[in-house]
Amino acid sequence: MSRVVVGVVDYGLGNHASLIHCLRDLGFRVHLSADTTELNRTDILILPGVGTFPAAMQGLQRLNLIGYIQKQAGRHHPVVGICLGMQLLTSFSHEIELTAGLDLIPGVVVAIPKGKWHIGWNTLVCTNGDPLFQLSDGLDFYFNHSYCYFGPENYQVCVTHFPTPFSSVIRRGNVVGIQFHPEKSQDAGKELLRSVIMGLVDA
Amino acid sequence: MLKKRLIGVVTVKNGRAVQSFGYCRYLPLGTPEFMVENLDRWGADEILIQVIDRSVSGLGPDLSLMKRIGELGLETPLAYAGGVRSAEDGIKLVALGADRIVVDTLLRADLSSVKALASSLGSQALVASLPMRYSGNQLEWLDYRTSCTTAVTDDVLKVLDSKLISEALLIDFEHEGKQGGFDMGLIGAFPIEGMQIIAFGGISESRQMKALFCSPRVAAVAVGNFLSYREHAFQKYKNALRESPLRPATYRKVN
Repeated sequence: MSRVVVGVVDYGLGNHASLIHCLRDLGFRVHLSADTTELNRTDILILPGVGTFPAAMQGLQRLNLIGYIQKQAGRHHPVVGICLGMQLLTSFSHEIELTAGLDLIPGVVVAIPKGKWHIGWNTLVCTNGDPLFQLSDGLDFYFNHSYCYFGPENYQVCVTHFPTPFSSVIRRGNVVGIQFHPEKSQDAGKELLRSVIMGLVDA
Repeated sequence: MLKKRLIGVVTVKNGRAVQSFGYCRYLPLGTPEFMVENLDRWGADEILIQVIDRSVSGLGPDLSLMKRIGELGLETPLAYAGGVRSAEDGIKLVALGADRIVVDTLLRADLSSVKALASSLGSQALVASLPMRYSGNQLEWLDYRTSCTTAVTDDVLKVLDSKLISEALLIDFEHEGKQGGFDMGLIGAFPIEGMQIIAFGGISESRQMKALFCSPRVAAVAVGNFLSYREHAFQKYKNALRESPLRPATYRKVN
């Protein structure tokens, strides 16, 4: 069994139960915590999230986690954001009101054109040959969002068409953002999560 | 391309999963956890658990059921319906394992809480449950608490049109549980043009599903009773719907 320890950042928003179960099923040890001492004992941090951008940033601020996550990323500790968690990695978001993000990956979060929601299963298309995502190219994953990332193309790893392409995976070094929910994407999602975590921890 | 979804519905009454016939006659099926686990294994695109006695009895959402279901570690997106009274209820349900929250009575009782839910969870996590029938060229909306129908009020229509809620679960309550019963007239009559619809109630035949999936207004079809009549019903429906824009049937890997 893998000895990798995953820290799931608990900032009060998100479906932790499914993510933790999925990670344990993959053989990882999991710490769900907002305590930085506890999170320091992990190999990788995951920022989950179901909710709105301003509420999530308020939660991180209340728990004094903004500076901590930024510092950890600066030390090349792997950080993965899932769904809203991916959006939190960016510079700022236009959801509800203009709100600053963690600014770990330059770019902004904007509404999907025409006020649409992107809800359901859609296909991942890998655009830059990142080995962490190659096995997931062409597979379907579960999305549920109405805002998406807009930023420099060099951070874009995968796109998804709705109907025009948007960034569904972004990466800057050891910081990775995943717009869909791998923990809710059945076998394809589990394989992707395993590849991302092992790839980042072993790098 | 975004796929349309085939959703498995588990109806819960008095803590037991039931087959429902028009929301007035019920047959027991077993534990909700067992039914939900089956749908997860069969590769449903989404699971909806609707606890139909919580709003009527004023008990609030069934958090202990949601906790048990969350602990199953489902790998399929899960929507919860039943007894949601406030934004706090919605946040608790999400923390326990729900991905989306379905509001029903709250649309009649407290629209400010619907707005608060959208502010905390985001509109993509909110679904409006609308039990309807199409009669005399107009839509009638059922109130589960009184069993009476009314027209949809302007206030509710305004909320539905305001992008606070992402999808409408349009339930043909009269034909719910009846084979091939869904009234297609409901889809055309639904007044909010930009809102995507999840069709539910009496949908049992693949040709009926095919017709629904042809409508640009329908994002998903939800099936309840008819999944319980045969093994691997999901895969069988999906194989019969190969020409529809659905994710292909999946078969869970055995570790």
